[in-house]
Amino acid sequence: MGSESDSSTSSDDSAPENPDPNPNPNPNPNSTLIDQTLDAIEDQLASIVLTQTNAIEDSSSEQEVFKDAPNGSLLDENNQPEIGGGEIVDEVEVVGEVEVVSSSIGVVWRRNNSELEVDQPSSPSSSGYAGGRGSSGATSASEIEEVSGDRIREIGREDSFDGMSDSQTAWVPGKRHADEDDASVSWRKRKKHFFILSHSGKPIYSRYGDEHKLAGFSATLQAIISFVENGGDRVKLVRAGKHQVVFLVKGPIYLVCISCTEEPYESLRGQLELIYGQMILILTKSVNRCFEKNPKFDMTPLLVDTYLMLLTTSSDAFYHLKDCRIRIEMVLLKSNVLSEVQRSMLDGGMRVEYLPVDPSARSGTSSPHLSQSRLATDSSDRLQEAFVGIGGPAGLWHFIYRSIYLDQYASSEFSSPINSLQQQKRLYRAYQKLYASMHDKGNGPHKTQFRRDENYVLLCWLTQDFELYAAFDPLADKALAIKTCNRVCQWVKDVENEIFLLGASPFSW
Amino acid sequence: MGLSSVTTGSDTIKFCIFDLRSGQHEGEELNKILFFYPADLPFSTQLSVIGLSEGLITFTRIFSPEAACEVIEAEGHSHVFYEAEPDVWMVMIVEKSKESEAIWRIDALRSVLKEVHSLFMMFHGSIRALLDKEPNGGLIRSHLYSFIMDYLSVTGQSIRIMCWKYFMLLTDLVSGPSGIHNTFRCTVSSLEDTINLFTYAVLRLSPRALSSGLSSWSYLRKGNVSSHAATGSVLANSGAVLDQFYRSRDTSSGEDPSYHIARPLQQDKWTKGKDGFLVSDIWKAEASSSVPTTPTIWLQKTDERVYLCAFQHRNLTLILLFPVTSSLNDQGISLVKQQVLENASLKIVKVEEKLSKGWGGENAYHVSGYRYLLLDGDRNVSRASPPTKVTTLTKESLVALNKLREEVDLEKSRAKSDSPDNDKDMEICIRAKNNAWVIALVTRGKELYMVLEKANETLLYASDAVENFSNRYCNGSFSLD
Repeated sequence: MGSESDSSTSSDDSAPENPDPNPNPNPNPNSTLIDQTLDAIEDQLASIVLTQTNAIEDSSSEQEVFKDAPNGSLLDENNQPEIGGGEIVDEVEVVGEVEVVSSSIGVVWRRNNSELEVDQPSSPSSSGYAGGRGSSGATSASEIEEVSGDRIREIGREDSFDGMSDSQTAWVPGKRHADEDDASVSWRKRKKHFFILSHSGKPIYSRYGDEHKLAGFSATLQAIISFVENGGDRVKLVRAGKHQVVFLVKGPIYLVCISCTEEPYESLRGQLELIYGQMILILTKSVNRCFEKNPKFDMTPLLVDTYLMLLTTSSDAFYHLKDCRIRIEMVLLKSNVLSEVQRSMLDGGMRVEYLPVDPSARSGTSSPHLSQSRLATDSSDRLQEAFVGIGGPAGLWHFIYRSIYLDQYASSEFSSPINSLQQQKRLYRAYQKLYASMHDKGNGPHKTQFRRDENYVLLCWLTQDFELYAAFDPLADKALAIKTCNRVCQWVKDVENEIFLLGASPFSW
Repeated sequence: MGLSSVTTGSDTIKFCIFDLRSGQHEGEELNKILFFYPADLPFSTQLSVIGLSEGLITFTRIFSPEAACEVIEAEGHSHVFYEAEPDVWMVMIVEKSKESEAIWRIDALRSVLKEVHSLFMMFHGSIRALLDKEPNGGLIRSHLYSFIMDYLSVTGQSIRIMCWKYFMLLTDLVSGPSGIHNTFRCTVSSLEDTINLFTYAVLRLSPRALSSGLSSWSYLRKGNVSSHAATGSVLANSGAVLDQFYRSRDTSSGEDPSYHIARPLQQDKWTKGKDGFLVSDIWKAEASSSVPTTPTIWLQKTDERVYLCAFQHRNLTLILLFPVTSSLNDQGISLVKQQVLENASLKIVKVEEKLSKGWGGENAYHVSGYRYLLLDGDRNVSRASPPTKVTTLTKESLVALNKLREEVDLEKSRAKSDSPDNDKDMEICIRAKNNAWVIALVTRGKELYMVLEKANETLLYASDAVENFSNRYCNGSFSLD
């Protein structure tokens, strides 16, 4: 690693400004690790043919992204998928949209290379809500909360720059800042980078910047990983000031996250795992075989355009769904709708709108407020209600109650002072740290934690049956906070039937 | 760790110091290496360690130009980085043991590196200065080698964290109590210099550390276990190995054997003279000379060289520092010593009596029912449960506390980079898996860590216990009122 004496600057097209805004005062040729000229890789890249045309770059096409309903608001048992009918479906994080050109259906969906992470919806009150409410607007995207096994994970709440996260602008799919490369100041200043590269150092995906321009950087990452591996070890994390560089190796795929968000290592690693899971979901593990055959295998084209929609978890539904599809196909063909749609989309730039959801189909949309004793029965009321509170008793601001046995969770609404996106994000970060602390790999899980700093008082209980995370005003009284949490737990237990899905676990596959 | 393993090469610890400015041309990479332990590792291995470190330093500079690379965590090892001087880096690589959890804190390991560097600077000046003096590195390498090997032979047991009992002590190597010399009054203005002097005094000037003419092995065996107790094998081997090293270096490297390297950390080099002053032959004018000169050290704060004189009366050690000037020679120093004896002896005796009477013994800071560590950043004071009491805690509790301290370290460093003037204020109470309460309180420059294994279940009970402690022993600093 130390013998790179190539001192040429990066062959990438640097930003128009000073290509190296952070000049290394040490004229050390080893600093050219990042500026490596990789002619060979350049040639390879030149031969890559992206199938994505990116012709419609304004990315105004909407993605069909549905709000996740972790309480299992799946389809009703009648398993009737309606295209645009408004059933809430489980969501898989979307990477892009696949061009489904099916001659029988004749539908052409818009292609896009969307980001892996999504921003906040424009409606603040719809986030973080277990029961979910459906998107409040056509252009809003969802945040994604996945309850996977034993973890509450949250991804995609990152904005590119400080200070931009308060924006209420609608999220648009497609990669932003695609012109950056590792020489740009702006690229270096991103709060959180994600990279996927192959074990030969070929860039597959980068959250910011054009992958093609990041070949050198990608090679550096690969060099670090293999160097440590050659020394008989496996690199997990590098820490420098506020930055953390997290590495995850999955066979021939390397995933790296560079973040200064102060999230715990376990959270960042979990996010990488999710990204990998996303990839494998689409591509399956046969990707490994491709890499075995050809280490320089380029999988970017495979990743570019894919869209998945999970309609049901019932494995019996397959044939029924197939029948439905055929029937729908017939109807659409007969009415000639689809070819019209296709033409309109190509010629007229028609957008396929996200269709509104029928909220009454959901269950578990309770909004627990200790100060009010009424139980949530009519969820549609909830939707209209704009609750402005100053925090519940003893300064309770928010809580999350997870039933371990049922593998579901309920959480309170966000109310003042956790109104803004910024506030919510900060709270989730605090929960993340609390979670990581409680679920310590070697020594945990622990039982109780009380944590107080200038932002919050946090309380966490882990028992065999449930987990509770609660956030209070930082000046909250300890005894009162404990009492409040007790009451919350009691209350949840009382209304368990109403806020959770009982019976056979809906998530058994 | 012991130097007995120097020949095996498969140590749990690697330690290196390198200079980024040297060895920039191909074929000259070895010039970067200023120190490497274990010394018998093949050069290719040494180079890959340096290469990886350098690569990561460069890499992290891309995203974090202000804050240097601090640590690499791999599955099997932790690499701890410390930039001792501009472009002079120290890296310690510790192996994570499979059976037990990683039970060290990265910050604690980094403070070991800091201490090594600080002490080195006190005796020899900066590494960069020695490099400038002789750019081919011979001077600095020989100085570093002897110094660090001496240091390791003394404190090796603490760094080799196989025995979890010690890790709580490790973290307070510098500022914590260690035996009877736990009060240190100093008029030297700089904290760092004070700490360096204190550390050195504890290591080499305390009555226990002085050579009494008996063999060192039996001498140390006699005393109580101090935090720096080294095993017999270390003592037995270190002298032999180092002598071998010097002999081989002298003949094979062809280096100028005439530069004398003072080895202040060597064992048994200080003795107590009849007049009560401690003498040593560590410092000599030239290698060939056998006439000892008065020890001199560097004070960092004022960047001045001072003479070091130590006077000892029973359990009291008095350290006198006076500036090195051309007008002061050995005779002058003897005069000063005499003055001290004549005018101050009585007072010294009285002070010693008072201190000894007031000394509560090893268990002076034991508070029954609590296992605690109190750090007062303002007054630079620390108190802790004595080691014998700490060892009653279970390993799980100690590991949990360690993890908690690491979290606190992280939060503190983040807060510092955000707003250096404000102190972080926080409280964390965890009821661990083994039912012990592990507590951290940080407020206005003070920190309190506590493990309560016998407390009952409720958070309130544990909080009350902490509050009582705070009121009685910390002037209520940690209480909410």
